[in-house]
Amino acid sequence: MSETHIEIENVNAYYNGNHTLKNISIKIPKKQITAIIGPSGCGKSTLLKCMNRLIDLTDGVTYSGKILIDNEDIFDRKTDVVNIRKKMGLLAQKPIPLPMSIYENIAYGPKIHGLKKKPDLDAIVEKYLKLVGLWEEVKDRLNSPASQLSLGQQQRLCLARGLAVEPEIILCDEPTSALDPVSSQHIEQQLLKLKNDYTIVIVTHNIHQAMRLADYVIHLYLGELVEHGCAKEVFENPKEERTRAYINGTFQTELKVDKELNLKGNVCPYNFVYAKQALHEIGAGKLLKLIVDDPLAVIEVPRGIEADGHEVLSVKQLNQTDWEILVRKK
Amino acid sequence: MELRRVEESIFKALMILSLMIVVGSLLGVIGIILWNGLPALNIDILTQTGGLYGKGGGILNAIMGSVYLAVGGTVLAFFLSIGIAFYLQKEYSGGTRLSSMTRLCLDILWGTPSIVYGAFGFTILIYFQMRASLLAGIIILALLELPIMTRAMEEVIKTVPQELKEVSYSLGATRLETTLNVVSKQALPGLMTGVLIAFGRGIGDAASIMFTTGYTERIPTSVFDAAASLPLAIFFLLNSPQEEVRQKAYASAVILLLIILAISITTRLLSRKYTKYIIK
Repeated sequence: MSETHIEIENVNAYYNGNHTLKNISIKIPKKQITAIIGPSGCGKSTLLKCMNRLIDLTDGVTYSGKILIDNEDIFDRKTDVVNIRKKMGLLAQKPIPLPMSIYENIAYGPKIHGLKKKPDLDAIVEKYLKLVGLWEEVKDRLNSPASQLSLGQQQRLCLARGLAVEPEIILCDEPTSALDPVSSQHIEQQLLKLKNDYTIVIVTHNIHQAMRLADYVIHLYLGELVEHGCAKEVFENPKEERTRAYINGTFQTELKVDKELNLKGNVCPYNFVYAKQALHEIGAGKLLKLIVDDPLAVIEVPRGIEADGHEVLSVKQLNQTDWEILVRKK
Repeated sequence: MELRRVEESIFKALMILSLMIVVGSLLGVIGIILWNGLPALNIDILTQTGGLYGKGGGILNAIMGSVYLAVGGTVLAFFLSIGIAFYLQKEYSGGTRLSSMTRLCLDILWGTPSIVYGAFGFTILIYFQMRASLLAGIIILALLELPIMTRAMEEVIKTVPQELKEVSYSLGATRLETTLNVVSKQALPGLMTGVLIAFGRGIGDAASIMFTTGYTERIPTSVFDAAASLPLAIFFLLNSPQEEVRQKAYASAVILLLIILAISITTRLLSRKYTKYIIK
């Protein structure tokens, strides 16, 4: 494991008397992607909000413990909260542009931190819009309202806005849950590119996203730290039964499969077409099990199916070559 | 099944009826005023003073007086309200007993009849042995507009999404920076509406300024002069036994309506420039 960037020590959080984080202690590695996984309501977002003290804004929350970033305890009352937040970019669940133009959205952060000269701001806006691959799409309408962009573009704008204050850490709270598959892929690619320079912490309930992105994984369940470790170890050989169950989607295995489709030997595009056909034939709410062996299909088929509005319940590796995809029809 | 359909259409009819009563009365008010007022409206009325006595003369004194009073009162009330409205938010006051007390006071003030404000202002003036003046009127109008403006603004600021503020905080902004750059921009059209409603109440009020600003045929040249106002002009003109003077009351009402309309439209146009940036 590489150098530690964020050290969480015995963090407890209570929300209206509920113990939402139970004595969490983890070390988050520098310049890697750390994924916090777990079912809804397990305290993932709370843990993330502790790291930039946005939790202060939530009513009825008390917390204790220590979070050390560069050996500075951010829970210490003497620590300047503005400085902590400047070190961390936040990418929220749904894109939230500020009520300003595209240009002003990026320039807002640098401006409040004292950068006033127009040429400097211009350079920053261009640099970070290019970094997130948005420059070509918006360079002719920098002064139009940010709310006019598509959701995917807005999320990339939000990423650029966060980066413009030159943070060391990027915190992502389910950053693709409101986006379409193509935009999600865009964001994921950005994050993979950014991990060379930034420490990234991503909260996700999408196991496949965690598998695609993470170097380090933290599994929370009902506020408890179940398991943490290198992504490869946790995903391939989880030590804890609860982690294994969560990753394999054991909660779903008792479900009755209505139709099974063996697509072994087909390449990805055909897999998708056959899967769509099969989904067309079964009734709403029924379960379809797909067996595929094209590695690309393991990623693309669930994504395409989700884009059609169906629910992908689990993606499970059966053996060296075969994968099982479980889908519930809309 | 059939009964449910009937219920549906009865309630729809009731709603349309209430709507028509509202729109009908508004059109009625405007219609009667225009019908009586437009024939009497001429250039003299707009440019001369001394309209209370017989033929000729105008109500320029009342127009100017009303504009001074309402604009002054609204500006004064705005600077007080904006501070109170932001303070009443949870981030600043922390939702303490003080803030709920303030809210209660504002609601009571809102319901207080304007003649009570007038009597209050009059008492103060007598205590300091001062005469009725534009300044006293502006202060009383500001007090009258304050609760309306504050409560309207507070409700608007409350609707600014928490996530938007969190975004600003997460970029390292302080509370003040967030309030000035993000919250006020998002809330701006609503804030403008609040100011507008208060302005309408201020320019149309007669009772509170009757004792505090008085009525005069002269156009005020300093804030310590007495001043005329349109609502009082209408009151005095309508009381006249002469038909041609009473006609001028309707002309004044038309002018009052036009001023409110002009201010509304300007505000709408101004706020359109900013509404396009708002996050929905």
